[in-house]
Amino acid sequence: MKKKTTALITATLMLLSVGCGKVANNVSASQNTDDYESINIYIGTTVFDNAMDPIKGFMSQGYPFINEPLIQVNTDSEYTACLAKDWEISDDALTYTFNLRDDVKFSDGSDFTAEDVVFTYEQVKANQANNSKADLTHLESVTADGDYKVVFKLDECYSPFLDITSMLQIVPSDAYDSTTFDTMPIGTGAYKVAQYDANQQIIVQVNENYRGEKPDIEQVNFIKMDQDTAYSNAVSGQLDVVMVSSTYINEKIEGMSLHKLETMDVRNVSLPTLEPGTMKDSKGEEHKVGNAVTCDKAVRNALAIGINRQEIINNAFNGEGRPAVNFTDNLPWASTDDYEDNRADEAKELLENAGWVDTDGDGIREKDGLKCAFEIIAPGNDEDRYKLATALAENAKDLGIEISVRNDSWDAAVEEQNTTPIVWGWGQFSPTVLYKLFSSNMFLEEKYANVSGYTSPECDAAMDRALSASSSEEAYKAWKEAQAICDAEYPYLYLVNIEHSYFVKDNLDIKEDTQIPHPHGHGTPIICNLKDWVLN
Amino acid sequence: MMKKTLNRKIVISIFICLAFFYLIIIFLWGMFMNPAKYGVNYADKLVGPCKEHLFGTDAMGRDMFNRCIKGLSNSLVIGLVASVFSSVVALIFGIASAVLGGVTDKVIKLAVDLCMGLPHLVLLILISCMLGKGSLGITFSVALTHWPSLTRIVRQEVLQLRSSQYVKAAARMGKSPFTIAVTHMLPHVIPAYLIGLVLLFPHAIMHEASITFLGFGLSKEVPAIGVILSESMNYITTGKWWLAVFPGIMLLIVVILFDLIGETLKKLWNPESGNE
Repeated sequence: MKKKTTALITATLMLLSVGCGKVANNVSASQNTDDYESINIYIGTTVFDNAMDPIKGFMSQGYPFINEPLIQVNTDSEYTACLAKDWEISDDALTYTFNLRDDVKFSDGSDFTAEDVVFTYEQVKANQANNSKADLTHLESVTADGDYKVVFKLDECYSPFLDITSMLQIVPSDAYDSTTFDTMPIGTGAYKVAQYDANQQIIVQVNENYRGEKPDIEQVNFIKMDQDTAYSNAVSGQLDVVMVSSTYINEKIEGMSLHKLETMDVRNVSLPTLEPGTMKDSKGEEHKVGNAVTCDKAVRNALAIGINRQEIINNAFNGEGRPAVNFTDNLPWASTDDYEDNRADEAKELLENAGWVDTDGDGIREKDGLKCAFEIIAPGNDEDRYKLATALAENAKDLGIEISVRNDSWDAAVEEQNTTPIVWGWGQFSPTVLYKLFSSNMFLEEKYANVSGYTSPECDAAMDRALSASSSEEAYKAWKEAQAICDAEYPYLYLVNIEHSYFVKDNLDIKEDTQIPHPHGHGTPIICNLKDWVLN
Repeated sequence: MMKKTLNRKIVISIFICLAFFYLIIIFLWGMFMNPAKYGVNYADKLVGPCKEHLFGTDAMGRDMFNRCIKGLSNSLVIGLVASVFSSVVALIFGIASAVLGGVTDKVIKLAVDLCMGLPHLVLLILISCMLGKGSLGITFSVALTHWPSLTRIVRQEVLQLRSSQYVKAAARMGKSPFTIAVTHMLPHVIPAYLIGLVLLFPHAIMHEASITFLGFGLSKEVPAIGVILSESMNYITTGKWWLAVFPGIMLLIVVILFDLIGETLKKLWNPESGNE
């Protein structure tokens, strides 16, 4: 009996200590001499989760650090030169010509030429299945005109092509190997991979062949660990940068300070706009669609204007993040039609006019016997989305709308994506996300795409105009029109433009003035200006 | 000597009653608790243990004491369902295996070996995932994996009984195996069976908490000790100890109580230990 009891006690204690038992044993302090500067950083796990090969879509959200694209985004979300000196788009928008820099070398010492660009694009086009990020279906041909000029020809106008050239990074044509590049890519960036330990650490060192100014920090060690372990390591002084969720932002760490960085990442909740029923997709498969409560525009509209986003942010994220009613203003194509929220009285009136009245006095409105109640799925292992949905549910209570929050796996959430509201995260430079969210062509055809089931011919037409626009200005205008049409129906309830928070050692300057607004990346985008960082 | 035994039996009986009482209170208290009591209250985020919140509150201001009680109550329900199901399966299989013998015995023995051969936790996770996790998945996985050891015990007991004189006599008199099983064997198997049933409880509860902790069981919105403990991991490093310590102790107490009740019952009912 004693034995058994002891076993049970031990088992319980083990349960208690599993999470905190994992101590980082891989923080290596190599070559700690005076002139050799090395830092250890924890920036989430995105870099470890994917192959580092640009051909397979690595770091294609605008913050690569090993390989470089032709053009890059600057802090104002405008495109500037990178491997290309300048570029030109023909009047019919079918030909893109890039003039390349002639002083660039890869980290293996070979020269960067137009041939490498051609090779990279042809590789991606041939292996499009491996890379969903750089969509080259409209690329007809890519040819080298001399060593330092590349000409792209498209088969039809496709304005997001320029975004692709900013995402797809160039690999050397001679040295490229699909297997070794998964862990040891050769690039033109300021850093190169010196050591790759799968799921433990990636050590990058300065690329001696880099054309620009030599970075101040010789070596950067990316460490993979759990968030709570990373935090404890930061407290004990072993990490120089640690990404933290809003859970930790009110803590104090000696010798470190908290930096909140701007992102273009928004969290919204999809609100299915269709009546409950079944519909067939293009392959003839039947899907359940619609939601009996959110299909009423009054409910969607009331939520959008009636909730208090700042209060939700304070409650869920300790105040981290900014209220958002559409995509962020730091994107040139995003709608700027902001509106005031927290108009509870107006929202209640809207609901009452639509027939949602609380008749039985339980605080929840009804209409024809149907309660104004629905479920929201906070998918995946993301504590923040769960907290956000819970705070929203609390806030919506005041309006007489009952929201219950359910945490479920992504697989389960996708199964119900057309019927149950889900908390989503979006944030990228390319406006193609709008097409994905609003286009009637995407409904039922792809997971994550147009889950609200909102379809409008006007919106589709505006987006087609945007895609085929011959200039950025024209495209941005059309994208904004599409958003204006769609947002008027409130198929998505935008809540917050999140911020990324980091504890950074006081002697490390991460140069906030050259940080681009962070795309979606769970904390990783802080490395977008790694080469500018200075260790004092 | 006589007096001492009597005293001890009374003491033990009182102890068992108290323990049952405690468990039943937790069970009923949680069952009929108003969800608002462990609901979100952003005004009191991460408050340490105090008079209003005995076990403190979490990051959403939920009262940890009430959440714990509700969580334990949920665990008890799952434990109860799982134990009852497992024990019924074990009883049927055990008696069938021993009485019918032959192919039935072989098949059941094989099933028992199969279930016991796999690591228990892995089997739990597999079944739970297959059924889509949640309370359904976890109840089924716990219920479906706890019968083998009890089946063995029942089978052993019945095998012994089968060779006894009165069973043989009954068989000669032309009673059917079913009648023999019910009238002559069941009464003798019951004590061992009940003890086994009680001893299944702590295992079922621990297993429920473990796989929920690992993320294969109940989901975040359900108050459960496993969920509470895995959530607390994010806060331990920042010194919010009460989120893990109290729920852990509560779980420990429940598990130990069940174990003690089972072990004590075994002492009381086992004739050989009666003269200790």
